[in-house]
This record gives sequence, C-alpha cells and structure tokens, in this order.
Amino acid sequence: MVVAGGIVAGGLALTGCGSSDASGSSGSSAAELSVKAAYMPQPVTDSMAAGYLVIENKGGAADELTSVTSDLAQDVTVHETAGQAMKQVSALQVPAGGELVLRSGGSHLMFENLKRKPKEGETVSLRLNFIKSKAITVEMPVKSATYQPTTGH
Amino acid sequence: MHTNTKMTKNTKDARKSRQTYAVGALLVAAILGLSACGSEDASTTSVVEVSETGATKVSTVLDEPFAKPDLVLTDTEGKPYDLRKETKGKPTLIYFGYTNCPDVCPLTMNNIAVAKKEVSKKLPKSELANLRIVFVTTDPERDTPAELGKWLKGIDPEIVGLTGDFDKIQAGALELHISIAPPTKDENGKTVSEHGTQVIAFSPKTDAGYVLYDKSATVQDYEKDLPKLLKGAKP
Ligand SMILES: [Cu+2]
Repeated sequence: MVVAGGIVAGGLALTGCGSSDASGSSGSSAAELSVKAAYMPQPVTDSMAAGYLVIENKGGAADELTSVTSDLAQDVTVHETAGQAMKQVSALQVPAGGELVLRSGGSHLMFENLKRKPKEGETVSLRLNFIKSKAITVEMPVKSATYQPTTGH
Repeated sequence: MHTNTKMTKNTKDARKSRQTYAVGALLVAAILGLSACGSEDASTTSVVEVSETGATKVSTVLDEPFAKPDLVLTDTEGKPYDLRKETKGKPTLIYFGYTNCPDVCPLTMNNIAVAKKEVSKKLPKSELANLRIVFVTTDPERDTPAELGKWLKGIDPEIVGLTGDFDKIQAGALELHISIAPPTKDENGKTVSEHGTQVIAFSPKTDAGYVLYDKSATVQDYEKDLPKLLKGAKP
C-alpha cells in the first residue's frame, strides 16, 4: 500500500471526516493542513538522518507541529537552524493561510539512533502531531544523499 | 514559495552571513538585509555574492585569496596531518563541519564526492589524483579519528578527515573568515555544534584559497567547476 512519495492525510483518509480540500476554505476558522514535498536524504550512517517537508495550511487559523513519531527511530525531534547551529524546539508554527517549510539548511526533522539505515527508494513512515489538527501520516520517500528539491527556477 | 527554497534566506541566515563574510560584504549584507524586509524571498546570501561577483552564483571568486591555514591536526588514522605540507601544490577543497550534523554537512560532502565521481568518468585519472578534499571537524570531542573515518567512509573514503584541538581548528577556520563557536550543551544535555557554511577551494598553483562555495552549491555546480579547480583556473 505504500507508494513512494505518496502522502496520506491520516485523519481525513481514515475516517472521512473533517473538511476536504475542495471546500475553498481560506476563510475557515480552523487550520486545514496538508503535507507535500516530503523527503529524506539517504543518511550517511544509521546514527542519524534528516527529514524535510512542507506543511500547507489552507485554513484561517494557525496550528503547531508539536511532535513526530516514526517507524525509523524512537527519537524524532523537530529542529530549527539558528545561525550555523541547529537547535531542538518544542513546536513549530504552521501559520494560517501559509506554510511551514522544513528544508535543508533550515528547520528539519531529526531522526536519531535509527533502527535501520534507510536506502534511496525506500520510504519512512511518519506521524505528525499538532496541537489542534488531527495527526497526519506521511510516507516519506528516501532520496539520494545529494537530492535537492529545487531546480533553481 | 517552495520552488524558491534554494534562494530563500531568512534573517537568521543574514546573521550568519554577517558572521562569515568579510567586512565589506558584511556591511552590504546588513544594509540590504534591512531593506529587503518586505520581501519574503529576499536572498541575503546571494545579495552578498552579487556584490562580489555581479551574478547570483553559488560560488565567489575572491579578489584577495586566503592563505592556507597552518594547521597540523590528526587524520582518521590517528596520524598527524600537516595541512600545508600535505596539500602543497594540490587542488584542495576544505570544509568545516561535524559528523553529528544530519543536514548541511553530509549534503555538502556528498555533493563534492558525487561531483568528483562524475568528473572522474570524463577526465584521465592522473588529473584527479592530486585533488584533496579535506573535512575538518568543528566538534573534535565527539569526532574522534575513528568516528570521522567511519562517517567519511559512508561518503567517500578518499576524503581527508581531520580532528584535533578545538582552539586550533577555530583559529584555522577564522583565517578563512569562517567563524565557529565551540560546541555547547542544550537544555536536554545534547551537544550543539556549528558548521561552516562555505567550501573553500585552494589553487594548486598558488596554494591560496581563491573560490568560496555557498551551501547551496549542488553536485552540478561542483561538477562543472572541478575541471577548472584542478588546474587552479577561475571557474
Ligand atoms: Cu537537527
């Protein structure tokens, strides 16, 4: 059932409740989250890996990403980059009508003490937990160690 | 906006640019950083580069090249490594980072390693034989020779990994205008380390550091430039 690159919004897909993307809801008072552009660069060793994704919020209220669980590691933390150092944070905001961008060199997910060393072509399962919205399940594809999502355009 | 992430810099990056670039560029970054407040996608780092090269390039050719730092550190075998002596007359790329860095450090080193591999398909072996890629740890306490060796083996075993006294490493980095704070512990007792943001290319002709690569430099950027760097030519 796992499709590389496939991202399932857990709450929505499983229960069918909640609002759909089609409801054109920029004025909605609740956060409406979806995840895109998730990937993990193939890590160098099994001691740690980084993960990136974009959480889009079409709703009219902000939300916060508070924690992440994964089949890859028990220890998954949310980091932001301040200057040349990264730092663990307890939550990251997903602004109303905006997006939270986790990207190389910026905020990222950090996986430590991996249960296996993920290889390019595999996927890693994640569950993103928020303060208000339902948890979102993400199948994060493992890309090459040098993968960069931007093409510079 | 996600299509622009490569160019997107926030004010934290601006702060970093101010730390790591030379004074002239520093002022430019500060001034433009302020004036760019309205624009989300203002690229502060590129702004700095624009002032130096006139193009939004990931590399910067220095008007005043850096002398190679006089560093004698320990390699992954635990043997002393005299940077100047070992890399004299050889095209050399130097980067300061640490192995517990999941993000920019492995990406940077992998980019160079993959570029080297690509170039090796096109150039005779002898041309690449002299290339030295040097990774200097900014977290020597955790990055022992063995740890460094293990990590680099996962990227390219030919990369030279160096560790040693932090103060020495910090001073060497500073000569290349790379400022690195010593590792500290956060509230959770986890070590927080810093990495440099640039790769510096040293010429085999002059042994001076003459090109800076930004962290946004890709495999393709290095692949394109390596043949020139091998000769000490300007990319
Ligand atoms: Cu991190």
